[in-house]
Amino acid sequence: MENDAVSLTAVTKSFRAVRAVDGLTLAIPRGQTVALLGPNGAGKSTTIGMLLGLIPPDSGKAVLFGLDPGQAVRQGLAGAMPQEGGLIPRVTVGELLTFVAGTYRAPLPLGQVLALAQMTGLENRRVDKLSGGQAQRVRFAMALVGDPRLIVLDEPTAALDVEARREFWSGMRTLAGRGKTILFSTHYLDEADEQADRVVVIDRGRVVADGTSAEIKKIVALTTVSVTTSGEVSWLGDLPGVRRLEVRGDRVHLRSADPDATVMALARAGAVRDLEVTPADLEDAFVALTAKETV
Amino acid sequence: MFGYIRLELLRTIRDGGYVIFGIASPVVMYLVLSNLALAPGDERSGSIVTMVSMAAYGALGCAFNNGSGIGEDRSAGWLRQLRLTPLGPVQVVAGKIVTGAVGVVPSIAAVLLTGVLVNHVELSPGQWLSIVGLLWAGTIPFALLGLGNGYALTGQTASMANIAAFLGLSIVGGLWVPTMGFPGWLRAIAEWTPSNSYATMSWHVAAGTAPGARAVAILCGWLAVFGLYALYAYRRAGRTA
Repeated sequence: MENDAVSLTAVTKSFRAVRAVDGLTLAIPRGQTVALLGPNGAGKSTTIGMLLGLIPPDSGKAVLFGLDPGQAVRQGLAGAMPQEGGLIPRVTVGELLTFVAGTYRAPLPLGQVLALAQMTGLENRRVDKLSGGQAQRVRFAMALVGDPRLIVLDEPTAALDVEARREFWSGMRTLAGRGKTILFSTHYLDEADEQADRVVVIDRGRVVADGTSAEIKKIVALTTVSVTTSGEVSWLGDLPGVRRLEVRGDRVHLRSADPDATVMALARAGAVRDLEVTPADLEDAFVALTAKETV
Repeated sequence: MFGYIRLELLRTIRDGGYVIFGIASPVVMYLVLSNLALAPGDERSGSIVTMVSMAAYGALGCAFNNGSGIGEDRSAGWLRQLRLTPLGPVQVVAGKIVTGAVGVVPSIAAVLLTGVLVNHVELSPGQWLSIVGLLWAGTIPFALLGLGNGYALTGQTASMANIAAFLGLSIVGGLWVPTMGFPGWLRAIAEWTPSNSYATMSWHVAAGTAPGARAVAILCGWLAVFGLYALYAYRRAGRTA
């Protein structure tokens, strides 16, 4: 059987008293684009650090293409863009990328990398004279210049404006189209929703949901049914499908797993004043998934 | 690894700190000091002593500057980025050491050439070769101290520590002003410093004698100390990178 691109088995990592990653298991088959979605401090960067061999796990096992992560990186199978840093002063974009390319066995031609990272024409610019967005693109270019099979990006679009973000994802889709395995972390829900084949939601160092973005929305399926009411409202929480009840002023928001049944029950009870039904979005799912853990 | 050395050398020659501390300042100080004739003996031998002192001073500047570069690289996340390429950690450290060793050469050459061209210093070919060789190889302990600081401390702090060590060792070691003029207690300290032993070897050669067993022994002792320090700092930095 062909090895998975990434395989994490029950990896755990603590920093002093804080358990950053807690028995996390994740397998990514080759060619998939996976979003690692979670709030700040969820353990995304630590997970990425362990799968790249930068951080040794306290327990559990990280494997890339059937190899020890450090070994896989040495063989040029992975390219990565850490959350920050990695740029040095006093060299040009071209010099830096040529150097990184030279460490791999079969790198991409410089021109192609510059085009993919939307940096054409900037190769003679000093790295320390670039704007924030341009610097981010150089960092992206360093991750892909070696033409690795697995590309790992930790919060790749954090410093980018909307336009730059759009261009960045178009470059990423080109790579995904070439059969690359891509893992990126983000706390932007729309990015995970739009760009990934599969979304892995992590919180407090554990996987709390794993599937396509449609599947994740369905797991939690929190369609919101809102009505205007007066008086006692707690009975609304017992209606079919209702999972949570929120009262804001005279509006009651019912988070429902079965909105049809909820609406029918409301109608039977004659309580459909100013009825409003809002479909679930990933943000709701995300909030629900990560909030659930605090209870 | 060749590509890495090439990249690092490019960065070195574009580094203002390297050009100022490693090349410009020793050459200028040499021209000034040799014409003030602070060194003992007649003007000719004084000029030779000062030439060796300033070449040693410049070489130390380069060696420490290289170490500060590591501190900068660590702060910039560059060492982590290198760990994400197929380049191995041994190649990275070896590349940095080679870069440091190569970077010292222009500095030594600049001062010695100024000696020949401006102050008309004349030595036998054997003496020239020995001096270049001793000044070059003798920077290793300082390079290790500089690297140790680079790994033990972060960016700005590493640079400060290296500049302090560089200037302190240069002055106390008698590279600026000969130790003859020092008070007795300071001279006693100076004779145990690595910088004084380092320059003493070449001063001896320039005066036509052997490098001196005592100076070689002291410098080797410091080599061991700084080597262990660099190793310790490197291991510690590896755990937190």
